[in-house]
Amino acid sequence: MQTADDLLRQLGDGLDSGEVPAGLFGNADVYRQELRRLFGRCWVFIGHESELEAKGDYVLRKIGEDKFIAVRDERGEINVLFDACRHRGVQVCRADSGNTSHFRCPYHGWIYDTAGNLVGAPLWRNAFKGMDKGGNGLARAAKVDSYHGLLFATLDPSAPSLPEYLGGMTWYLDLLFGLNEHGVEVMGPPQRFVIDANWKSGAENFCGDDYHLGTLHRSVWEIGAFPIPFAANMMGYHVQASPGHSLSFSMAESAEEPGPRFFGFPDALAETFDTSRISERQLDVARRSRVLVGNIFPNFSILALPMTEDGGNHPPVGIITIRTWQPLGPGQVEVWNWFCCYKNVTATERERAYKAGLGTFSMGGSFEMDDAEPWITIGRTGRSVAAEATGFKLNYQMGMEGIGISRPVDPDEWPGPGIVRWSRYEEGVQRNLFRFYERMMTAEPGEWPALRFDG
Amino acid sequence: MSVSVTSETYAEVVQWLHDESELLDDGREREWLEEMVSPDVVYQLPLRQTVERARGDGFTRETFHLDETYGSLEARVMRNETAYAWAEDPPSRLRHFVTNVRVDEAGDDRLRVRSNLLIFRTRQDQTSPQLLSGERRDELIRGEGRLRLARRTILLDHTVIGTHNLSIFF
Repeated sequence: MQTADDLLRQLGDGLDSGEVPAGLFGNADVYRQELRRLFGRCWVFIGHESELEAKGDYVLRKIGEDKFIAVRDERGEINVLFDACRHRGVQVCRADSGNTSHFRCPYHGWIYDTAGNLVGAPLWRNAFKGMDKGGNGLARAAKVDSYHGLLFATLDPSAPSLPEYLGGMTWYLDLLFGLNEHGVEVMGPPQRFVIDANWKSGAENFCGDDYHLGTLHRSVWEIGAFPIPFAANMMGYHVQASPGHSLSFSMAESAEEPGPRFFGFPDALAETFDTSRISERQLDVARRSRVLVGNIFPNFSILALPMTEDGGNHPPVGIITIRTWQPLGPGQVEVWNWFCCYKNVTATERERAYKAGLGTFSMGGSFEMDDAEPWITIGRTGRSVAAEATGFKLNYQMGMEGIGISRPVDPDEWPGPGIVRWSRYEEGVQRNLFRFYERMMTAEPGEWPALRFDG
Repeated sequence: MSVSVTSETYAEVVQWLHDESELLDDGREREWLEEMVSPDVVYQLPLRQTVERARGDGFTRETFHLDETYGSLEARVMRNETAYAWAEDPPSRLRHFVTNVRVDEAGDDRLRVRSNLLIFRTRQDQTSPQLLSGERRDELIRGEGRLRLARRTILLDHTVIGTHNLSIFF
């Protein structure tokens, strides 16, 4: 059987030619290495701060396959705590969310406060008098930080700061999540569902696989769920914001062209957008944007676009979905899907955005219900003997030199950071994910690949 | 708890549920929509979380896996009628098992119906089925001599849904 080393060598050798070994989407050795070298080191998405508004609010989340409690403590700080009692490793948080003053282990009764400190255990004097409580708190993520309310954590003490890790992506997160002083909140807990597919299928798709819309999602045009014709929607920019993080904009070539602005958000909401938190140039890009889709390495994706669940009765309206592709094995992924909206929308606008999002980008949505079909079979190809025997490489060549119409964008034409190309007929955004992937997967402990293209 | 309807009405409702299952199992979605669903239908599958006993059954009030009106149900039916509905082409093999039917009068020509539902689904060459288990709380309205679905709440026995999509009807 091929090892992770074999496949990563093939990836390193083939990527400049747009070749990615299919085995990455199913090989068990690769997956084990991903858990340690990617999910054990990178900043991963935990949730949104609006899920933890009050002291004592908690949600149970995952880093890789491991459960972590995200909880706001009595001082108002957010902690990300490994859900395992220090005594015997038993799960201490047995609900998906709630509000509590403490977590009590069901086995022997060790009790932790919401900052993760051990505060007691039954019959303490008899059992533990003289033992130091200080070293027996819950284990915690090495670093926790948030950006526009998006909460991330890393298990690696050597990790760069969150802003450094996000790099050029912060500029683009600003123009979706920082459009006014109010910012966004999530609408309820995440929808969770399981697909027999590899987690990278979701991640690489959200880097900017716009080309699949014309075939896989053709039905959504036929029922009027999406207002921009396919060919027009392929116009826009592909952005490698910084190593690993990619995104894609559907955008008119000039600001004068008609069509949705600000991702299709309601006009009344758009009137509140200003430069209180972002620059004039970011606001201009947001104004011209019809669709933004992106992935923050490794497995956190964002999407904003105009949608409707019922084209006969409701015009499309801007929705925001954020989601993680939570690994459950080389051939299984659990999708965690949240919908967001700006805090200052009316109740009616909020309901419209929720219904439009749910009816399109959720497991029962007209867009997303088709995505699982190809991803399941990519996983099957990835774990096949045939792929190994034939040295099967996937083709990521679209938009490479001499292939297709994609062209580099002059820095004068685009105000944001990163490597930018015009038209969305391009797969450099996905190659950017796999290039950083290869570097993280082969980096020694404590060593970090470059987080800037010029670094 | 008690069945407050006549045995004739009870039998009528059970027959209605079986007829409905037949249409859905046979992929006759448009017939189901046009002949069995009321234009003002509210059709919801709320999201559920694992919560401590003191916090109830874990169903959320405002978040869903499905939150449908007649218009959005029709959009789903239309989608499956296009040549690009990959999620259901080739179609899933589907079987609705409906049991534990309880019927109460709800006034205004309405009946309140609770039933247990088990959906067995396979696709392609799957041998292990996707199973969805839950309770349906329906309101049927009588008009023009027939019953129609006016409200359906599907309470699943799952927090994480083990099917790759919900391109099916409950």
